[in-house]
Amino acid sequence: MINFHPSEMQLQSFANGTLNPSLSLIVSSHCDLCRHCQQKLKEVTQVVASQSLIVSEKEESDLSVFGDMMQNIMDEPEDMNTRASEPSFLDLDGRHFPLPRSLGRFVNRTASWKKLVGKLWQAQVDIGGDVRAEFIYMEHGGSVPEHTHRGNEWTLVINGEFEDGHHHFETGDLILLDSQHTHTPVSNDPDGCLVFSIVDKPLHFTSGLARLLNPFSHLFFK
Amino acid sequence: MLVETTLQHSKTTSNKMNAANTESSSGLSSEVLAECLVAVAERRCRTSFSKLFSHFAPRLRSYALKQIGNEAIAMELVQDTLTNVWQKAHLFNGEKGMPSTWVFTIARNLRFDFLRKMQSRKEDICADDLWPVLVEQTASLDEELVDDTVTLEQILEKVGLLPEKQKQVILAVYVHGKSQQEVADETDTPLGTIKSRTRLALQKLKELLDEND
Ligand SMILES: [Zn+2]
Repeated sequence: MINFHPSEMQLQSFANGTLNPSLSLIVSSHCDLCRHCQQKLKEVTQVVASQSLIVSEKEESDLSVFGDMMQNIMDEPEDMNTRASEPSFLDLDGRHFPLPRSLGRFVNRTASWKKLVGKLWQAQVDIGGDVRAEFIYMEHGGSVPEHTHRGNEWTLVINGEFEDGHHHFETGDLILLDSQHTHTPVSNDPDGCLVFSIVDKPLHFTSGLARLLNPFSHLFFK
Repeated sequence: MLVETTLQHSKTTSNKMNAANTESSSGLSSEVLAECLVAVAERRCRTSFSKLFSHFAPRLRSYALKQIGNEAIAMELVQDTLTNVWQKAHLFNGEKGMPSTWVFTIARNLRFDFLRKMQSRKEDICADDLWPVLVEQTASLDEELVDDTVTLEQILEKVGLLPEKQKQVILAVYVHGKSQQEVADETDTPLGTIKSRTRLALQKLKELLDEND
């Protein structure tokens, strides 16, 4: 059962196309997994559309500004070549994880899996821009050292369950954190947990040995 | 500073007056717009497209001007959006939403991709990733034939009753998971034909299943 969804406001700006692109990618992937938000997004989009496509009677009556546009368009042939979306998967250690549709195109831009500390795996995803995107796989009992964020951390649970000391998250849950949060993710799922995550600033480790990583964190988290 | 404030103030006032003087137009109804889209999709009906154009072009222009501000680019957005409507009307599905919502989402996607291109350090995320408006998704059979009371066996039994060619395309796409493009290549048939054949086959299947009730 999915318990953590985007807010109404976030869905609204997502439908408007004005939400931050990275966050949009996470929200869109969430909607691929969440029927509830799919339905809500449909309703919100309808409202946004009707608010966006308004015109005064005066503007509507004057089609001369468009010149030959209509004629030019109708000279074009029908276009049946539509991009089809195919199901896509991510492989790790013989396991085959189905991905949300929105992430499908990024499989080809995912680096190979690297084993990090403990039972943690990471595969970086090149989505460009000034953010860092990655798939993280926590094996059973695997955990990320306690850290806060200087910026935002947006995470979507793709498969499995984990805890972070505050909440329990399951497949499809959306986790949006900012610099006020400190957390220690750990997975107690016998099958581990796969998440997709985007951070827009380096993480800041707050405890133990991991603190020593801070001066170098820009090396790990560009 | 003072001048600016005054200017802004008078602008707001005149906007208000405009709003009071000119009601926003409601234009054509959803039903009429949907009929026009179907007519364009099925027989490239020019009269229907001109109705769609007259309805949407001014609305899209006003949307684009508000979003982008530049007249030339706004016009480009109008043209690209309506070109998609003309060329891809077959992708409109009246069961999934209203015509104006569909057209808006096409414009929103174009605007999103346009603004992405303008930025220097940009994420490489495109509108198609976020909103598959003009992306064809092969929905699963039970999704297409939404009815929880129908079992897969019942569906397959009805598939057997379809004309041979329709049966083949349904089996290839929904049982063997091939894309419509692959089916087109393998059978040396134009993609458009495979698409309309799939659509007809699904329609026929729905009818056959409804006869059961
Ligand atoms: Zn949701």
